[in-house]
Amino acid sequence: MVWIGGLALLLVGVVALNVAVLRLNVRLDEVGQERAQLRADNAQLSSEIASQAASGRIVALASNRLGLAPASVSSWTYLDLRK
Amino acid sequence: MKLANRRIRLVLAVFACAFAAMFLRAAWLQGVRAGSYERLAAGQQRATIVDPGGRGAIFDRTGVQLAIGRQATTVYANPRQIRDPKATAALVAHVLKLDPQTVELALSDRSRGFTYIARKADPERAKILKKAGIVGLGFVNEEQRVYPLDDVAAQVVGYAGTDNHGLAGLELGQEDKLSGKPGSETVIRDPSGRAIDVINSTPAHEGQSITLTLDHTIQAQAESVLSRTIDQWHAKSASAIVLDPHTGAVLAMAVERGYDANRFPLVPKDRQRNRTVTDTYEPGSTFKIVTVSAVLSEGLVTPHTAFTLPYEIHVADRVIKDAHPRGTERLTVDQILSFSSNVGTITLAEKLGATKLSQWISRFGFGHLTGIDFPGETQGIVPSLQNWSGSTIGTLPIGHGIAITPVQMAAAYGTVANDGVWMQPHLVDRVGAKDRPAVVSRRILTRRVARQVRKMMQDVVIEGTGQEAQLPGYTVAGKTGTAAKPDPRGGYSKTKYIASFVGMVPATNPRVVILVTVDEPAAAIWGGVVAAPAFQQIAGFDLQYLEIPPDAPQTLTHQ
Repeated sequence: MVWIGGLALLLVGVVALNVAVLRLNVRLDEVGQERAQLRADNAQLSSEIASQAASGRIVALASNRLGLAPASVSSWTYLDLRK
Repeated sequence: MKLANRRIRLVLAVFACAFAAMFLRAAWLQGVRAGSYERLAAGQQRATIVDPGGRGAIFDRTGVQLAIGRQATTVYANPRQIRDPKATAALVAHVLKLDPQTVELALSDRSRGFTYIARKADPERAKILKKAGIVGLGFVNEEQRVYPLDDVAAQVVGYAGTDNHGLAGLELGQEDKLSGKPGSETVIRDPSGRAIDVINSTPAHEGQSITLTLDHTIQAQAESVLSRTIDQWHAKSASAIVLDPHTGAVLAMAVERGYDANRFPLVPKDRQRNRTVTDTYEPGSTFKIVTVSAVLSEGLVTPHTAFTLPYEIHVADRVIKDAHPRGTERLTVDQILSFSSNVGTITLAEKLGATKLSQWISRFGFGHLTGIDFPGETQGIVPSLQNWSGSTIGTLPIGHGIAITPVQMAAAYGTVANDGVWMQPHLVDRVGAKDRPAVVSRRILTRRVARQVRKMMQDVVIEGTGQEAQLPGYTVAGKTGTAAKPDPRGGYSKTKYIASFVGMVPATNPRVVILVTVDEPAAAIWGGVVAAPAFQQIAGFDLQYLEIPPDAPQTLTHQ
């Protein structure tokens, strides 16, 4: 009787292990898809950041929307820290 | 009893037959049909997912992406599985914004089992179509190369084609580093399509990212100045190079009119060329620094050596004149350069001799590739000494009868700016995490001669032909150039010119060398009038942007 119980336990263990492996594989697939999607989103956002942060665009916006103009050389002051 | 036995035997026989049938069926399935069923099952359960291995990004020196891979979805179809081509085409065309007739034509062709509907379509739109669950349509993710800054540095960065292979510019030149190595994964899927086991997996290798020496802000500003210059002078095109003379790093390489790299198939090839590297031009007077540097280096003259110079000079069968009529004058070497005297420069060249002049032209790198890391560089056309005619000693010293590239000229001026050491111009700063190998350099001029030439070029800007290049607060050294373009019918054009200015700021310790060439300006032709103001605008911006303090604050007018 003991060996029947042991065998049943072993079979249940094997089935449980396979189910766990199966679940992990499914989760792995989901994580892989999530990673691919995140990479795609990341690339999309990086590209948008690069477009938005382009200095030419910012200069044009500053000039057209806010009426700003680049500072002239004479309006800059450089400090000589050695003095 | 007998009846019972017969019944038992009958049941046994039935069971035996049933088991025999099952055994035979099992043997049939497992043995005879095993191969075909295994293949059928594998086709339904197994799937190979290809990971294309992303292409490396291209960054400018500040870390802004100039080229990057973005996910797109390619939509394809099996026309044999499409039940209603007309209705399907209408839906597909509506969602993907395609021509319905073209799509219907593709979907109606049942002789084919595969046809592309849209390569690299918008993934969001493709998702809508996927949700519709149309049998016969398939979807695959692909990487699409995009250029976030559109037209900034388009000719330098180039572009990659539909299959993600570099086709032009650095995308082509650095293909071996940028391209990734594809990987794959074979998985077993359950009936709902979820992967439940991985049979084998080959990892993909991403391409390496490249960091350029270009600065997108300096580049964009240079392009904007060139564009305005073209408009102002009704020119055909213009180009500019901003170079760090101490390292050979190219901070900007602009060619106008530019184009949007994202729309490269619609742009003529002529407009896609990085003409600063691939095209040649006759430099005219900007070339005179080679002649002057040579005579100073050979110890034949000093900047103060004076010559009595007529308005015109006879060289073999030619008569060469100065640009503006004048009487016979006594000019020093310094003044010859300042006023860009052709007669004076030819006089210096005759003193130097043909052999030495030819050697110095070669030493400055003209007629040789600079080795810049950009594909398609041309070495220009420099006549070899054996092919010189009697008048060559009168044309070459003033930059005629020679074809050079703007990058060769920028590197030559970089030599003067860098106290006589020529640095190889380059665009790639880092590949992945690795710095580029040491830059090739060679000494061409002594420090003393380089400084003498620089001082003379300062006089060009203070009192000579380059006064439009003056910048309040800074010393500027430079040289103007105006050259008639060769006429395809022979000789030189009387209406088509190239105006140029090459200079360095601050002249006392140059941080940037800037070259500007304007092709076929119509409203005026002179380098000092057309190109020098463009130089001044580019230099003024770069000095502020790079936070280079004024070296001549006394010339500032404080507001």
